[in-house]
Amino acid sequence: MNAPLGDVRDERGEVVAVEALGGGMVEISVRLPHIAARAQPGQFVQLRCGEAHMPLLRRPFSVAWTDADIAAFVLAPVGVGTRILAALHPGDPIDALGPLGRGFTVDTLVTHALCVSGGLGCAPFPMLVRALRSSGTRTVTVVSGAATAALLYPRERFSRGDPDVEVIELTVDGSRGRRGLVTAAVAGNFDAASALYACGPNPMLAALARLLGGAVAAPVLAEASLEAPMGCGYGTCLGCALPAWDPDGARAWALCCRQGPVMSMEVVDWDELMKLPAAHVA
Amino acid sequence: MSVDLSIDLGRGLRLANPVGLASGTAGFGFELAELIDMDRVGALYTKGTTRLPRAGNAPPRVAETTGGMLNSIGLQNPGVDHVAREYAPQFARWRCAVIVNVAGATIDEYVDCVRILDGADGVAGYELNISCPNIAHGLDLGRDPAHAARVTAAVRAVTQRCVVVKLSPNVTDIGAVASAVESAGADAVSAVNTYIGMKIHRHTRRPVLPRAGTGGLSGPAIKPLALAAVAAVRTMVRIPVIGVGGICDTGDAVDFLIAGADAIQVGTANFPDPSASVHIVRGLADYLTEAGLGHPSALRWNAA
Repeated sequence: MNAPLGDVRDERGEVVAVEALGGGMVEISVRLPHIAARAQPGQFVQLRCGEAHMPLLRRPFSVAWTDADIAAFVLAPVGVGTRILAALHPGDPIDALGPLGRGFTVDTLVTHALCVSGGLGCAPFPMLVRALRSSGTRTVTVVSGAATAALLYPRERFSRGDPDVEVIELTVDGSRGRRGLVTAAVAGNFDAASALYACGPNPMLAALARLLGGAVAAPVLAEASLEAPMGCGYGTCLGCALPAWDPDGARAWALCCRQGPVMSMEVVDWDELMKLPAAHVA
Repeated sequence: MSVDLSIDLGRGLRLANPVGLASGTAGFGFELAELIDMDRVGALYTKGTTRLPRAGNAPPRVAETTGGMLNSIGLQNPGVDHVAREYAPQFARWRCAVIVNVAGATIDEYVDCVRILDGADGVAGYELNISCPNIAHGLDLGRDPAHAARVTAAVRAVTQRCVVVKLSPNVTDIGAVASAVESAGADAVSAVNTYIGMKIHRHTRRPVLPRAGTGGLSGPAIKPLALAAVAAVRTMVRIPVIGVGGICDTGDAVDFLIAGADAIQVGTANFPDPSASVHIVRGLADYLTEAGLGHPSALRWNAA
């Protein structure tokens, strides 16, 4: 099912804060009253980077959190667009098209939620954690992994002081938290009453999908936020195709921007996704 | 002076204004209809439609380049039966003319598609995509003037509706192809489709796009090339020329009208700017009013 576009607006916002989080990660807060009031956890916006179509295309970012008329985004300056965004200053104008795409399912029957974040995959979780807790999820466990300590999203920004939100950190190099991959901390942390939400690199998501496939008691809900090279973000260029299974079990292309970015993990053809070349960052 | 923006494309098809949404950048209009007022756009040239549904190419399908983007979508579309049955009745609700872009690997496919669509209300005309670089054989028909003329004549024989032929720029002499399709009965030509391009992934030392590594280049990067193609086509045909290639704002549209276009299409700019086309419609009216000109055709430059 495609995400509706009725609430989408091309909104001129104003940067209110640009915060360096360490390791190059930046959190940008933007006054965007329309988008902040309507965005759901897991939805994204298309941010324009620079003037006069240089670069040409907007860049998609998950909404990290909203607060009144502010929407925030987490990014790293890895390409020409993100470098422009990371260099913005408070007071700068910025155009945002959104909110776009399908977000996470926040089900009031879920008693425990497990949020699995890899690297910049942290982006949608601050908003999701808050939405889960205010909809009655009793406990939330965030498993936050990164290559090294500097690339971990600050743990208190997931929990915002909520004692029922536990954050487990892992680093590949062991510089903070447990040494290893997030999958190691996931195995014993869900049961049939849980929901699992994931966002991170494709190999991490595919490993989680395998783990769930072999689990004795799979969670009631397992969703992943995916990404793909994207042209428009609203379903018209057909550029962001992901390999997926349609309701009849046949292979189909799903558009990341309309059928995603959050998709049920059982809908994604993980084997095919892992065969695709790694995304090119521009 | 009052400004008249309307354009006659032939066969009784009169567009309210010369600004259209280019094929492949506006789907079948349903997404943009949620974001802009379709009634303010002159025409929608739909996503390329084929006889049978096509799933499209394996990703990655798009790659940004300097001032442009490459695409290799592979003509993903639901097939002509679905377009005629499910989409055409919805086209009829818009004031903007819907011109269905038709693609195929054989002349019979084009003819079949047009025959099926000809029975549907809501379809104002056809744009023959004889130049899609992203499917096997798609380019062949557009490369050779004689082949291009044959597909045009075959379609001409089965419809009284307006037939536009979309020209490939990946040819030696675009004017010769334009002239051939005019003689074969085309009511108008659109120039140009995407240029074949490639982007290299320096880390993997492979092209970014899969298969042959090529895709169709569009966006502001191709605008000077497209302007030259439009000017070349203008000198070779008397039928309307629809200019397309990198148009992002009113100034770009004006440039194409000066170079010889009768109408224009906004393409890749729809991706970062869904409202680009409606802004250009308004901007064009303002520009002509300010210049004291009554019609876009008054802008045309005549090459010596």
